[in-house]
Amino acid sequence: MKVIPIYIEAGISGFESPAAEYKELGLSLDQLLIKHPNATFIGQASGQSMEEIGIFDGDLLIVDRSLTLKDGDIIVANFNGCFVCKIIDKVQARLLSASKDHRPVKISAEDDFQVEGIVTRSIRLHHKSSELTACMR
Amino acid sequence: MYALVDAVSFYASAEKVFDPSIRNQPVVVLTNNDGCICAVCPIARKLGIPKFEPYFKVKWLLQKHGVVVRSSNYELYADLSERMMNVIARYCDDQYIYSIDESFLYFKNYDCLIKDWHAYGHEIRKAIWKETKLPVGVGFGTTSTLAKAANHAAKKLQGYNGVAVINSTNSAKVILQQMSVNDVWGVGRKISKRLNHQGINNAFQLSTLSPKAIRKEFSVVTERTVNELNGISCLSWDEVKEPKQQIFSMRSFGQRILDVYSLQAALSKHGCIVGKKVRQQSSLVKKLLIFASSSPHDTHYYKQSMIYQFPVATDNSCDIAQAISTVINEIFVPEVRFYRCGVGAIELESRQFQQSDLFMPDKSNPALMTCLDKINNRFGQGTLKVCAESHHEMWQMKRHFLSPQYTSNWKDIPKISCSDRS
Repeated sequence: MKVIPIYIEAGISGFESPAAEYKELGLSLDQLLIKHPNATFIGQASGQSMEEIGIFDGDLLIVDRSLTLKDGDIIVANFNGCFVCKIIDKVQARLLSASKDHRPVKISAEDDFQVEGIVTRSIRLHHKSSELTACMR
Repeated sequence: MYALVDAVSFYASAEKVFDPSIRNQPVVVLTNNDGCICAVCPIARKLGIPKFEPYFKVKWLLQKHGVVVRSSNYELYADLSERMMNVIARYCDDQYIYSIDESFLYFKNYDCLIKDWHAYGHEIRKAIWKETKLPVGVGFGTTSTLAKAANHAAKKLQGYNGVAVINSTNSAKVILQQMSVNDVWGVGRKISKRLNHQGINNAFQLSTLSPKAIRKEFSVVTERTVNELNGISCLSWDEVKEPKQQIFSMRSFGQRILDVYSLQAALSKHGCIVGKKVRQQSSLVKKLLIFASSSPHDTHYYKQSMIYQFPVATDNSCDIAQAISTVINEIFVPEVRFYRCGVGAIELESRQFQQSDLFMPDKSNPALMTCLDKINNRFGQGTLKVCAESHHEMWQMKRHFLSPQYTSNWKDIPKISCSDRS
């Protein structure tokens, strides 16, 4: 994302704005939110099971594949052919939710399970975004 | 030391990255217009699914085995290719991207740094798998041809597990003996047939021939190949990529075209693609080739091409579309069932060294074209277009089994479930 620079002009032609040479500056959300662009993908959460940790239905998830997994990380995993967002319990090999209504899921040997990456940020869109509306229900 | 890193059936593997439901399924990818199979994943290969067969011919076989069929999703492949190449670049300071899924590396003076090339290869493989979920093969060799041979062994021969190293005459012999001459980089089908007649069947046999004799019988290129197989490096990558001398855009139609308007629209679309590519490399078109034909399998094969010369070289898509409209009536003939068409910029000039004409002012309007390209880069190709490209795009590519653009279109980003079992 690029912040559109607004020129400060005196309204007198012939004098260049003193801000002109700074117009290349701007803040990039990518720079702030994405540490490893090659290994990062963006997905969209669907469901209520992670609400207590602050991930709500429709939030954007920034998922970094390059980080090393730690116990208690919020992860995206391939669980039996479906991307899920859960908290990893490495000790007991379980997937935990952040909601009282959802019980932990034990990962067994029969399950198809792969860690895809670690959720490093989540973004809530308080106003609807036209780019995303097609996938919001 | 050289290395070649390339993805295992790249298109099919790319389809699996953001669709976990097909990770363990057989997957094939079809070419433009869903014509032929162009990629077969290892699971599908084990089922005996052939590559390069027309889709309609093997449809029954694919259905029988429940094979997942996908159209080519170039937006997705381009993005994943870039990610893969960037990860590879971390492992060597001299990288040459050879194709969408192949990258050469040249390790100059690395011998004191890297003791175990096998381990280094596995490190590269692991990093690419972890960060992009693409499987790759890594081959090391003392020349690029040997690196390519090692890569072949890494992926095709048993026991190599994705990494192979040729760093001695012995390791070269073991691998080259198991490789048919046809698979050697730079040896075409014709040459390999002639070699087979002489009893030269595998790459090791080829490497024992006299380079001088080979040069006499075949060519300098084949002589170089023989030298390279013996560890003498003689192929070099272009250190700086020269701008292309010609730019073409052409394709066969999803459906035959019978009317002049559709043909003009199709040609204009190709013209605009050429225009965009020309602008990307800061060139200008001086001469444009515009051509269309029916299918060579038709009873009356028809083919016509026209050359249009611009008075002042241009990179403006509108000028190109204008040129097409002036020649369209020379190309179009009623009752011909047009099968393919295209546009080529056959004479290019550099914008930097453009000669201006006193009596012909430059009307190419670069600001307008910059604006057009910016809008299309931001919102997707085809957001803004020259009117001649039209909306009825029945001649466009058939992509019936297209997967979403997971990484390049907001509405297609992967869904991640936060509910129990979905």
